[in-house]
Parts: sequence; C-alpha cells; structure tokens
Amino acid sequence: MPEASSSPLLRRRLRHGRDRLATALITAGGIGVIAAVMAIGVFLAVEVLPLFWSAGADEPAVDIASLWGPQDYPGLAEPAYRWQPTLPEGDPGPRFNLAPLAWGTLEAAAWSLVIAVPLALGAAAHSALFMSRRLRGYLKPALELMEALPGVVVGFLAGLVLAPWLERHLGLGLTLLWLMPLGVVLGGALWSRLPGTARRRLPMGWAALWLVPWLILLWALAGWLAPLLEAWWFGGDLRGWVTATLGLDYASRNAIIIGMAMGFAVMPTIYALAEDALSGVPGRLAEGALALGATRWQALWRVVLPAAAPGVFSAVMIGAGRAVGETMIVLIASGNTALFNANPLDGLRSMAASIAIELPEAAPGGSHYRLLLLAALLLFLFTFLVNTLAEVVRARLRRRYRRLGDSA
Amino acid sequence: MLPPLRRGLLAWLLILAVFAALPAVAAPRPPVGTLDTVGSDTMAGLMLRWGESLGRRYPGLRVQLQASGSASAPPALTAGTTLVGPMSRPMSEAERSAFVTRFGYPPQEVVVARDALVLVVHRHNPLTSLSRRQIDAIFSESRRCGGERGIHRWQALGQERPSGRIALHGRNAVSGTHGLLRREALCAGSFRPEVNEHLGAAAVVAAVADDPQAIGYAGLNHRTPSVRVVPLRDPEGRLHTPDPRTVRRGDYPLTRELRLYINRPPGESLPPAERAFLDLVLSAEGQAVVEELGFVSLPASTLARQRRILELDDGGA
Repeated sequence: MPEASSSPLLRRRLRHGRDRLATALITAGGIGVIAAVMAIGVFLAVEVLPLFWSAGADEPAVDIASLWGPQDYPGLAEPAYRWQPTLPEGDPGPRFNLAPLAWGTLEAAAWSLVIAVPLALGAAAHSALFMSRRLRGYLKPALELMEALPGVVVGFLAGLVLAPWLERHLGLGLTLLWLMPLGVVLGGALWSRLPGTARRRLPMGWAALWLVPWLILLWALAGWLAPLLEAWWFGGDLRGWVTATLGLDYASRNAIIIGMAMGFAVMPTIYALAEDALSGVPGRLAEGALALGATRWQALWRVVLPAAAPGVFSAVMIGAGRAVGETMIVLIASGNTALFNANPLDGLRSMAASIAIELPEAAPGGSHYRLLLLAALLLFLFTFLVNTLAEVVRARLRRRYRRLGDSA
Repeated sequence: MLPPLRRGLLAWLLILAVFAALPAVAAPRPPVGTLDTVGSDTMAGLMLRWGESLGRRYPGLRVQLQASGSASAPPALTAGTTLVGPMSRPMSEAERSAFVTRFGYPPQEVVVARDALVLVVHRHNPLTSLSRRQIDAIFSESRRCGGERGIHRWQALGQERPSGRIALHGRNAVSGTHGLLRREALCAGSFRPEVNEHLGAAAVVAAVADDPQAIGYAGLNHRTPSVRVVPLRDPEGRLHTPDPRTVRRGDYPLTRELRLYINRPPGESLPPAERAFLDLVLSAEGQAVVEELGFVSLPASTLARQRRILELDDGGA
C-alpha cells in the first residue's frame, strides 16, 4: 500500500480522477438547479392549464374576461372586481377575479420601491464616494446585516407597532415627511457655510455620525410643530380632514405602511448591489473629473453614476423582484383586503399572501386551487423575468468596467 | 472480534430496541399510550389543558394535538389517522358522507363546550347595541338580511362619535369564526372586501383596541379590557349581552357548540384511552377547564345525556 501511493504515476492518476469527479459533481449540481427551476415552471403550467378548458361540472367557468375584467355578481348592484373564493357552496358562488390581487401585489411593490430606492441609492452613493473608509467598514456590513432580518419580524413590527403608531400620530408623520428632507438639505447648506476649522472638526466622511444629533433635533422640532400645524391647517383632525376634503378613507393597515415595511426589507439588497456597482467604477474616472474642476456633485452625477448605471438599474430590479415575491410582510402587516382602488391610504391583498392563506384549504384539482397556482405562476414568471433582466444588464456592466479599465 | 465502530453501533441498536419494547413490556394495563387528535385551533387550549388533567389522572396517557383548523379534522378521521377530531363547527354534509362511505356508519358527535362570537369596538366607542340587520349592513355587501343600504360610517348608526368610516376587522376565510358570522349574522351573504382579514382572533382584538373607528368580531374567550363588547338587539328590542348564563341558555344569538367527533362503530364500547379522555371532558373537572379558558360550560342535563349515550358510567374504568 504505502509503496503504491508514493508512485508518482498513480498519484497523478488519482488527482486526475478526483478532478474529473469534482467537475462531474459541479456540472450535475448546476444542471440539477436549472432543471429544478424549469420543473417548477412546468409543474405550475401543467396544473394551471386545465383551468381554461376542462372546468368541473359544478365549478364556475373561468376565462380571461372573468379573471381580469369587472363582473356581474349576484347580490351586487353593478359589475365589480371581487376575489372571494371561499363563499359557501352554491349561493352566491365563489368570485374569482385576479385583478385585485395583481393590483395589490404591484401596489405594494411600487410603494416599497418609492420608499427604498431614494434612501438606498442615496446611502450607496454616499458610502461609495464620500464616506470615510473606516466608517464604511462598519456601516456597510451593518446595513447588509439588515437583510438577514426575517420578514416575519418586519411584518410583525409594521403591523403591530408602526401601523397603530402612525394612525395615532398622522400629523407627525406628515410633518416628518417634508421636514426631514428639508432639514437635511438645510444642514448641508449650514455645513458649507461653516468656517474652515469647524468644518475640519466635522469632516464629510463622518457625516453619517454627526448628522444623527441634527436628525434628532429635527424630529423634536417636528414633534413640537405637528400639533400646531394640524390645528392650524386641518382643524386639529387630519384623519377627518382627509376623509372630508380629499374623499379618501384611512385604513390603519394601508399601502403606505406596507411600503415602509417592505421598503425597509428591500433597502439592504438595493444598497448592497448599488454600492458594489458605484464603488466598482474605476477611481481614476472620478479623480479625473475632479482634477478638471468638476464639483463632487458633478463628478457623481455626470461621471460615476452613468458609468455604474447598469449596476444601479439591476440593483433596483432585484429589489423589485424581492418586493413582488415577499409574503410574510404583506401577510402580517396588511389587512389582506382584496381591494381594487388607487387610494394609498387603503388596504391591499397580494398574490403571495393569498397563496399563503388559501392554498392549505383549497381542494387540490379544484378551480380555486388552480387559480392560486396561476397566481404562483405569474409571480414566478415576473420574478424570473426581472432577475434575468437584472443579470443581463449586470453582465453588460462588467464588460463596460473591463473596457474602461483597458482604455485608461 | 468486531471493529470498535461496529460494536458501538450494535450497542446503540440494542438500547433502541429495549426502549422501543419497553412500553409494550412494562404496560400493566390500559389506559396508557398516546391519544392523537387532529382539528380545531380554537379548541387547542382546551385540548391541551384536558390532556394535562388526563396525564395527572393516568400517568402514561398523553394527548397529542395537531391544531391546524376545524377543516383538518374530517379528512384525518376518514383516513383513520385519528379517532378523535375536535371541531368548532358542525361537520358539513360532504365531510360526513365521506366518512360514512369509508366506514359504513356516521361519526359520533359529542358536544363538549359552548362558545359565543362577540362584536367588539374600541373602549371609548359609545355604541349601545346592534341588531342583526345592522351587523349585516356593516359587514356585508350583499345585505341578505334586508338592510336598505350599507352602513359604512359611524354617523349612519346615529352617533356623533367617532367620526368617519367604520374600520372592519375579522378573521380570514379559513376560520370557523368567519363562517359562523357569515351564516348567522350575514344571512349567508358575502363579506365586504374592506374587512381586514387577520391571522388570529387575538390580532383582531388588538387591531380594534388600537383604532377608535374600528369594529371587529372574535370568540368570547378573546375579549380583553381594551375593547368593549357590543350587546345584540333582537327584533323585539331586547338586548343580549354575552355572559355564561345567556350563552348556556342560547339567548345570546351568536353562539356555537364546540364538538369532538369520534370514530366509534355502533354497538361497540370506546377504546380505553378515548373512554378515559371523554370521561374527563364530560366531568365537573373537565367543564371547570372550559370555564377557566373563557368558554361556557355545558348544563348538567346535557352532560348526563351524553355520558349515557357514550356508556361512560356503567362498567367503567
């Protein structure tokens, strides 16, 4: 035994064999993953298709018009969009209209992006270009750790803490909405007017730390200002004013709450990918722009951002894909009301949450079951497309960096 | 000589075998073992406490509950994976006939407690009472109980406070509570899509406690001091507040019975474990647990009648 293993020929053969085995395993793994993803799609499609041509005798007919268009339902005065799949047998019959669910899914994703994209991209640009290296070393992992926070926890906090709080402090919320951005800009203006010695004490790279007291001050100001403004403009009752003047109803579990919770959840994803894209831009580009007399803002806006645009775009796309597929946050923090209106202060019900609630109760093979799988198929296709698009664009970015690196 | 690894494995196998055989060898006499039950999550607390009491009476007898909802009990009974299925609603005709097709006899139904559904509002809401027609007009869009028009604002109920829209909170369609309100108070109509669907009754109560404009429904045992229970008004104008007396007599309109469904062939007596369990549930001790958990216990006559049907008192353990 020891004699044979020490022979160089045998050793080489052994190594070759191990190489070949490893290659085969990796290839098999890769093919397996692809096959599994395709199998999911095929399974969903096969389960969904019978819906359209062979509905059971006692099942209501399902077609494109009844899934997406307004319907006449017994007991209702006018055509409406309704997702009420589990009414008692017979009268008045289940109502299968996917429009409210699709709308709820997109609405939730849109509001979460409205909240997450400006914050995440702002943070990414600041930490990639202006932040001190040491602070960035602490903050970036901390922000990325936020991604590990389970959706259940975020949803729970949003539904049981944030929603009641905002409902009680609607005026404060509205005041913060305009006072915070304004105050931060004002802070920047004040900072640039500071004498040189004071500015050296508060370097740009550490703004993330020394802005914190300023933000607390702004919050306190908003807390003092909010009741005054509410009494002055809205007669002391903002919620009543919204209902009376704008004709909008305020539901405590509304689309904005979902947007905030889900925005919080997708922000780390967008931040991490965008930060990578921005800090991957070769440093000499920005340095060159600065040397030619560009301001820091011009260097960011005209040089670095265009160079990193595909990466930033794909970061937003991947964030959107996650927001569309997110289940737990919508399930817990929303009221799961299948409404079809554009009022952001009203509730919503997403496709993913519907699947989570209803699939365990739906009889396999029935219309309801197949419709839930159709919703799953739509979610699958959407996230698949969005992620593929994001990957394609990112590949282009990598090529562009290589080119920029070569030509320099 | 076996190599050490093999010897260790053998030892483990031996230990396992001894443990597996132990209950069979050591069992002196019934009832011992595990009683598997599948069904209602409303009754999960009840089943747990009954199981604890049973364990004190007969050490060695355990009750195990898989509480995923009333709808999960009939399939498990029909498949024969359980002999006892707790349900917070009566079995539907389809579920019963599936059981009969499999076994040739209907499942035995045992009423074990009463529960009521309460309508709750924020503790500062001045609402004095609601009629069935008003509940229907508030919660449904079909208004099959005969309301003229939907009631969507508190002003439509004739009160100044709170202002604005009535915020509606309830359970999702999977729940038996949802079904009970629809059957009993909405005349089997359909809920408005604006009703917030929560994952549990405690979440409904918490949401109502936070919002002065809210109304919601939940089981009697979920009420808390932070919400107010609204009395119901019958067509003659009498008010009914849910309390143990009105629920037990059935005066309060929105009541339901909590049941156990049992697979018991006709003419045969119950297996010892099931028998011990039902004996406990239908005893004063078992009914004290019912009261303790906020449900309503059964009158003595009902208990006695069911004990007689189940032959619990003669030739007993």
